[in-house]
Amino acid sequence: MSGLSPSAIAMLIFGAVVLYGGLAYFVYRAFKRRD
Amino acid sequence: MAAIGSAVGLGNVWRFPYVTYQNGGGAFLIPFFVALFTAGIPLMILEFSVGHWARSAPPKAFKKIGKKHEWVGWFSVLMPFAVATYYVVIMSWCFSYMVFSLNLRWGAQANIFFNTFLGNTGAPAEFGGLSIPILLGLVAIWFTVFIILYKGVKRIGRIVALTVPIPTILLIILTIRGLTLPGAMEGISYYLTPNFSALLNVNVWLAAYAQVFFSLGVAQGIMITYASFLKKKSDITNNAFIVSLADAGTSFLAGFAVFSVVGYLAAAQGVGIPALGSQLAGPHLTFVTYPTAISLLPFAAAFFGFIFFVALLTFGIDSAFSMIEPAADSIHAKWKMSKAKATAIMCLAGFLLSVFFCFGNGLQLVEIVNGIVADFGLVIIGLAECLILGWMYKIRKFRDHANETSEIKIGRWWDILIKYVIPIVLVVILIMAIVNNVINNPFPGIPSWMIVVAGIVPLILMLVLSRILAKMKGKGDDFE
Repeated sequence: MSGLSPSAIAMLIFGAVVLYGGLAYFVYRAFKRRD
Repeated sequence: MAAIGSAVGLGNVWRFPYVTYQNGGGAFLIPFFVALFTAGIPLMILEFSVGHWARSAPPKAFKKIGKKHEWVGWFSVLMPFAVATYYVVIMSWCFSYMVFSLNLRWGAQANIFFNTFLGNTGAPAEFGGLSIPILLGLVAIWFTVFIILYKGVKRIGRIVALTVPIPTILLIILTIRGLTLPGAMEGISYYLTPNFSALLNVNVWLAAYAQVFFSLGVAQGIMITYASFLKKKSDITNNAFIVSLADAGTSFLAGFAVFSVVGYLAAAQGVGIPALGSQLAGPHLTFVTYPTAISLLPFAAAFFGFIFFVALLTFGIDSAFSMIEPAADSIHAKWKMSKAKATAIMCLAGFLLSVFFCFGNGLQLVEIVNGIVADFGLVIIGLAECLILGWMYKIRKFRDHANETSEIKIGRWWDILIKYVIPIVLVVILIMAIVNNVINNPFPGIPSWMIVVAGIVPLILMLVLSRILAKMKGKGDDFE
């Protein structure tokens, strides 16, 4: 990631947290409900 | 899982990365997320709620809401069927390229796509010769779609257990390979570096709403149909969030797979990424730019070319059969026809219509049908859904239904989004589509009569056919 500007890295983290963090959270809720 | 498979398709790979790059890079994520949470997910919740409440495909679901609305259900199942007729053709191109990848038959510059492979006539009104490899690919894909669908929902469940994770894993492999190539960071930089001034441009916000709307697979009858198969106690809201975030997450990941390789290609050819322009999206990206980059790989080029096209095919197949299932299920329900027979009729009709795209002007026909039929049709359905369910019916009923089965309770804000925000956005997108696809003529060199015959006439015919199907007498007692 050395070639990326700090703002690009910030958007990468922002996108990953919202999308994959959100997805992991809702999948976790689905599994929790199933148990 | 089936809904995720339906939502995630070729567009995630060949549209989202380019739209992001064109509309402010990383800054595009802000309007994209706003659009996802204010339009995409609320519409997904609405469709899941309608399907789950009606326990039937769209025509019957809309009839349950009001007898005069049945045609909207038919229109919403005919629309994905129309999209499938050319979507399967693109998959057939992928199928041929998967075979070509074994010996990198496209060569160093991969320009064979337009002339040699498609046999492009250069004159859009001239059909030229029929491409036998594309036709054979069509036969194979339509047959596969039939085999998956004719036995019903259980088989779909078993298929998507493979076709959802496999392309995602392949995409991750391609991303890792791409990121290790020289020049990759330059490409990723173009993809992610934010241009926050773009957020002041209203077109960027519209592009975000359009991307969310077209990518999630809403307003196509698919989500209503799939939701009708859900268990009674399924959590509607949670499922809507999972499907929407999985779709958007795949698009975001695809950006890394595409732009890392684009960066590598630009570095290898000594050109800047902006010089590649429109080569970074659509068929050009998939069948020219990406294969050219694959040919330049220092080792295992055939392997990476092969898994790229396998990924596209597996991304595409569950979208393809999800486009046929609503129509087949609706016919099966209305006329009490066996599922196998209804599926066979739809697949055969789809195959025959697909043949039109196998000639030398197939690419132009795909562009017209996609630009007129799909873009207008989907927006019209989205609008009709919001107006009928939000204004003519009690939207509160669907909110209550979703809340009955869901842990996360949705509030009145959802009603406001369905009744006001989404229709306004869709009207603006419709006006933009009229300006871009009709007034500005985005099909240079294509005669107006062809745009009318291939784009506007099929759209009107589908509207008329929807009314006729709604008027026809069904066999099912609960359909009468």
